[in-house]
Amino acid sequence: MENRAVLLPQTNRDDWGENMMHARTLTIRIMRYNPAEPETKPYLQDFQLTEEPGMTLFVVLNKLREEQDPTLRFDFVCRAAICGSCGMLVNGKPTLACKTLTKDLPETTTLLPLPVFKLIGDLSVDTGVWFRDVSLRTESWIHTDTVFDPDAEEERMDNDVAQKIYEAERCIECGCCIGGCATANIKPNFIGAAGVNRVARFMLDPRDQRTDREYLELVGTDDGVFGCVGLMACDDNCPVGIPLRDQLAYVRRKMAQSAWNLGKTK
Amino acid sequence: MQLQKAMAHNPRMDVIVEGIQMVSGLLLVVFLWTHMLFVAAIWLGVNAFNTLAHFMDVFGLLPATVVFLILVIGAHIGAVIRRVPRQWQEQKILWRHAKLIHHSDTWSWLFQAITGTALLALAIVHMAVVTYGGIDANLSSSRVHGGFLVFYAVLLLLSEYHASVGLYRVFVKWGWVDRHSLKRVLTVVSLLTVVIGAVTLWIFYVLGANA
Ligand code: SF4
Ligand code: SF4
Ligand code: FES
Repeated sequence: MENRAVLLPQTNRDDWGENMMHARTLTIRIMRYNPAEPETKPYLQDFQLTEEPGMTLFVVLNKLREEQDPTLRFDFVCRAAICGSCGMLVNGKPTLACKTLTKDLPETTTLLPLPVFKLIGDLSVDTGVWFRDVSLRTESWIHTDTVFDPDAEEERMDNDVAQKIYEAERCIECGCCIGGCATANIKPNFIGAAGVNRVARFMLDPRDQRTDREYLELVGTDDGVFGCVGLMACDDNCPVGIPLRDQLAYVRRKMAQSAWNLGKTK
Repeated sequence: MQLQKAMAHNPRMDVIVEGIQMVSGLLLVVFLWTHMLFVAAIWLGVNAFNTLAHFMDVFGLLPATVVFLILVIGAHIGAVIRRVPRQWQEQKILWRHAKLIHHSDTWSWLFQAITGTALLALAIVHMAVVTYGGIDANLSSSRVHGGFLVFYAVLLLLSEYHASVGLYRVFVKWGWVDRHSLKRVLTVVSLLTVVIGAVTLWIFYVLGANA
């Protein structure tokens, strides 16, 4: 399986002089809302600032908070597409703000928080509670009866399998695939592409001893993979490029297979 | 799990419904395309069309088709109904969402639900008319000429759209082919069937005008 590199914004210093000459004035339209003050409805507020070379939305938002409005709320930790905390809708597209370069954006950009997740305020949402809940519901840990022997040599894993597991594990839990998914927007218990991807990871793992039937009960349902209607917004939006369509199809086929086998043994 | 759920529990339920949705959908697509080819018999002339109609009559294919359609359409509706957002609240969220994220595949899903509902109504009318009137080139041409043209044009476009998007989804969901080449193939196939249907309609219209 190929490993897709995460593209990080790069500043091209050679552009400096030229860009400074005719720097754009950007209008950033940000949704403002404070759940603690429900009487004020969500509204869009315009901010203006001058574009700089190599500017990302991470830089933009921090500048706005420092220079224009200290009450502005948003999340960043790693600013390098690793932690997954800066997912938001950039002109409607769910993506990571820290890897979005302003030079790829039009002069007016609208920023909204990701839907589905609990809104903390402005652009900040709580993805953690959601992902923890899905992890618990899909029992995202290795289920095994094998007793761990600290002295034994670690069991070897086939390289191919290890690569496949790694591919699924690259999920940074940013929530872009969830916020962009129409199904997740109306079905509160739908585990979404990230959830299915998580389960795929354990299905691939030879150490996990769960049976087909157990997996079927877990994700072969309308809240699991069969809730998906195939819109592929997840696949189109995953900022780290996990092949979500393949993962969804893999789990879907596996579940159909288990259901079939179950029917035969009955 | 709670008792009431445990007693009604069947782990294969959702897979089965998904299967019914897919199989009934595929059957309807096959039917649709066969149907388009059959009515295109008018390209070869009134006699060819009537011979085919007569052949269908002799073998009792017309009532058989109607029964087949009622069963398959019924199964399809039964299976897809769980997907269609029922509450007003959900509808609103979905429309907002589609507008918000500018994602073409999400729009096509909304259109699929709408075209599906419209198709049900149109197909019932169409089936009733055909069952009542029987199949005959003269009847068809006078019908098409006598005001039904728009009806058939709409039916043609909606059914082709619905079929093509539905097929796309089936393949995408099960992961059998590459998304973008699939879109291209399906667009070509659908355009072809639309053209075939449109030419057929036009022939009927001209026949009706000259009658
Ligand atoms: S493919 Fe499925 S999981 Fe992905 S966005 Fe669509 S409905 Fe959601
Ligand atoms: S699968 Fe991709 S889009 Fe979804 S949470 Fe993980 S990294 Fe984000
Ligand atoms: S800040 Fe960590 S992913 Fe954007």
